[in-house]
Amino acid sequence: MIFIGSNAAEAHPVSMQHILHAKEVNNAPLIVVDPRFTKLAAKASDFVRIRPGTDCAFIMGLVNVIIQKGWQDKEFIASRVSGFPEMAEVATKYTPEEVENITGIPASEVTRIAKVLADNRPTSLTWCMGGTQHSIGSSITRAFCILQLVLGNMGKSGGGTNIFRGHDNVQGATDMCVLSHSLPAYYGLADGSWKHWCRVWGVDYDWMVSRFPAKEWMNKKGFTLSRWYEGVNQEDKIHQQPLKALLQWGCGVNSNSQFHKVKKALDKLELVVVVDPFPTMAAAATESDNIYLLPCSSQYETSGSVTSTSRQIQWRDKIVEPVHGSKEDYDIMAELVKRLGFADEFYKNIKQVPEDITLELGKGSLTIGYNGQTPDRIKKHKDNWHTFDIDTLQAIGGPCDGEYFGMPWPCWTTDHPGTPILYDISKPVMKGGLPFRNRFGVEKKYDSSGRTENQLAAEGVYNPGSEIKGGYKEFSGVVEGRNWKTDLSLKTHEYALSRGMAPFGIARARCIVWTFPDQVPIHREPLHTPRPDLIDKYPTYEDKPIHYLVYTRYKSEQNPNLSKDFPFVLTTGRMVEHMGGGAETRSNKYLAELKPDMYAEINPRTANNMGLRDGEDIWIESPEGGKVKVKAMVTERVDDKTIFMPFHFGGVLMGRSLTGNYPEGHAPYVFGEPANVCTNYGYDIVTQIQATKDGLCKVSKA
Amino acid sequence: MGRLKFLCDVERCIDCSGCVIACKEGNHVPVGVNRRKVITINQGKPGEKSISVACMHCADAPCIAVCPVDAIYQRDDGVVLVSKKTCIGCGYCFMACPFGAPQFPKTGVFGSRGAMDKCTYCAGGPEETFSTEERKLYGQNRIAEGKVPLCAAMCATKSLLAGDSDKVADVYRERVFKRGSGSNAWGWDKAYKGK
Repeated sequence: MIFIGSNAAEAHPVSMQHILHAKEVNNAPLIVVDPRFTKLAAKASDFVRIRPGTDCAFIMGLVNVIIQKGWQDKEFIASRVSGFPEMAEVATKYTPEEVENITGIPASEVTRIAKVLADNRPTSLTWCMGGTQHSIGSSITRAFCILQLVLGNMGKSGGGTNIFRGHDNVQGATDMCVLSHSLPAYYGLADGSWKHWCRVWGVDYDWMVSRFPAKEWMNKKGFTLSRWYEGVNQEDKIHQQPLKALLQWGCGVNSNSQFHKVKKALDKLELVVVVDPFPTMAAAATESDNIYLLPCSSQYETSGSVTSTSRQIQWRDKIVEPVHGSKEDYDIMAELVKRLGFADEFYKNIKQVPEDITLELGKGSLTIGYNGQTPDRIKKHKDNWHTFDIDTLQAIGGPCDGEYFGMPWPCWTTDHPGTPILYDISKPVMKGGLPFRNRFGVEKKYDSSGRTENQLAAEGVYNPGSEIKGGYKEFSGVVEGRNWKTDLSLKTHEYALSRGMAPFGIARARCIVWTFPDQVPIHREPLHTPRPDLIDKYPTYEDKPIHYLVYTRYKSEQNPNLSKDFPFVLTTGRMVEHMGGGAETRSNKYLAELKPDMYAEINPRTANNMGLRDGEDIWIESPEGGKVKVKAMVTERVDDKTIFMPFHFGGVLMGRSLTGNYPEGHAPYVFGEPANVCTNYGYDIVTQIQATKDGLCKVSKA
Repeated sequence: MGRLKFLCDVERCIDCSGCVIACKEGNHVPVGVNRRKVITINQGKPGEKSISVACMHCADAPCIAVCPVDAIYQRDDGVVLVSKKTCIGCGYCFMACPFGAPQFPKTGVFGSRGAMDKCTYCAGGPEETFSTEERKLYGQNRIAEGKVPLCAAMCATKSLLAGDSDKVADVYRERVFKRGSGSNAWGWDKAYKGK
């Protein structure tokens, strides 16, 4: 197991049962790569301390060593991977010595970890937000995938890239694309996608178009969670009229970086609506008379389906009716839709809540195979969970015989058992096997080498029982004018499955993504770097004028002199006692008692050099003028160049208490400065996720 | 049959305090009283270890020996309980306890000690089983319901084990065997002296 940018012991404590089981029972090495010696590192067999934001260089260094030593899975690469030589060429630049220079990890460790990975296959690789929240986050996560491809660890029990999600239904929310750039189930914003979903919803496409001020709005990416505040403040140029209203539903606003600017936006908005069981930081930070709090019930007071990290869908029952005058999310949504005046269209297929919602979203989500998991089947799994094997996840006898728990998607039909492991060609498709999907055409000529490569899998790569014994294209035209993604009659699915084939074809996994700025992942220094000497060799991107409606600075933001005034790297993360923005956990008296104070981790050497003692108040300041007053926690968890802060606190802003702003009797028990006041400017070039893990800061005595 | 014991497997404890919260929430323990705590040594360094500690319900419990009013007693299954109505809050048991288990809520303006409170092994107290009085003074009586204590039930990694000592020992022995090392269960020598 290798964990990089993940502190599962604090962020996912329940998963530790399985992680420790693998370590104890299977003797699996547990490699933890992190800037901090975390609680997970305490359980590691190998701990590797890395400079924040340099994960890509480390992973490409591992890939390079593996290829140089000939440890790669040659057959897997030859038959199921594309763009390998071009990627390997890029990887040669990341020699162990160069990796040491960039990451701070000794060259000998790079080689040693590569050997451990080569000797212990399959390896499960896990990352979390420590891997994604960087200006090159999309390259970092792709490098993780490439490492697993090179080792041949994909599509195998015990292998794969197992990204742990933040909460129980984050995967479900992602699948529904509660995002500004895609319709549900990753359909994107093309006209065809809108038409598909209009067919599912049973509404007229022209009526849908009439709901928008102009049709172009339907196809344009909107503002993202990390940058919506610029839609109000406009400090960076925006490409739409300014935002007037904000509706936050189950979102801790203090998880936004640049929070002092977010606060400014909250005050400027004409309307702020917060739907949450507890008053979030938005309730305290919004100081103009424009905010409404709608108390919603907790998960125990409602029911419905949720989707887990492993793509399993589970039914959740209501335990009690909503208490304290709160309303279920469904009821709040219904009231909202009614007042907006499109209840007839919205509820066309939905008579019974929430079962009909699950049915409708499943019916339309063909891209990811959500259509086989009907509410009846999901409930049947919940009621018979004891009949499933805890290792294979497969039911042994009983009413769910042969099915996998929660029918992990894709679950192509109501007879399909679910797909417990993606890309596993050892099983027939109808028994839960699948190849790599044919998503990006059948041929590609690469820019870097000029070579043209067939993107379909080689002869001999197929699931048992397949009529075609090699790569093939995705299915389309079975029903005229439809493909497997848009054929609501499911005839395309049934036709493919009857031939033992995957509806989405069999292709290769790509090492080259030709639509990304970096076609092969490469290291680029964080926008705010403590190593200005590396900027020339590893510069950031050119500025991106239209990045989800907002100008986003890269090159113009990378100032080599910044580290003189801001000498420490600032990274943030979770603590086990609190969750997210902390509105819920800081309102629990026992959790509040356990961790009452906001703090910053600081190495003993740094503290002693500055004359700071444990528990003393300090100021942490960001280059953007954000500052927080917190307690110094002197610990060797961080090295002497790094400061760490947890991001769960709120109710205080730059030394000023906002506790009087909470509704009377509803303030949390404990307050503290939000770390995100100090997290720096910086956003991923593709996804625009905020770079909260590799900024700079300065520290002074309060 | 053995007796009831606790065992915290330090290889498994991840310092999440789930046991502490389960105990406090389930038994409505006042803030400031810690029937169970997680202690970490070498924090942030190689060799970091955590252990969840509460009353170990010792054989020959020293707290019973030193109590001047005989408020503390041991059941046949090994569980050590205190009668809060008898306890005078003298604190002798706290001096005698090798695990720092006895807790004293501050009562009154001068911080005088109230009756001793500690882990009940989720077995209630001397009042009538399942009575309101028992619940108010001591919390749940899960043992009478045939359930293990909440802390062990909630433990995410199954580090904290509770139950019949033979079964607990079997689970742990199997783990140690699979790990192929001879790690010793923390606190057993001191608490149980081989009994």
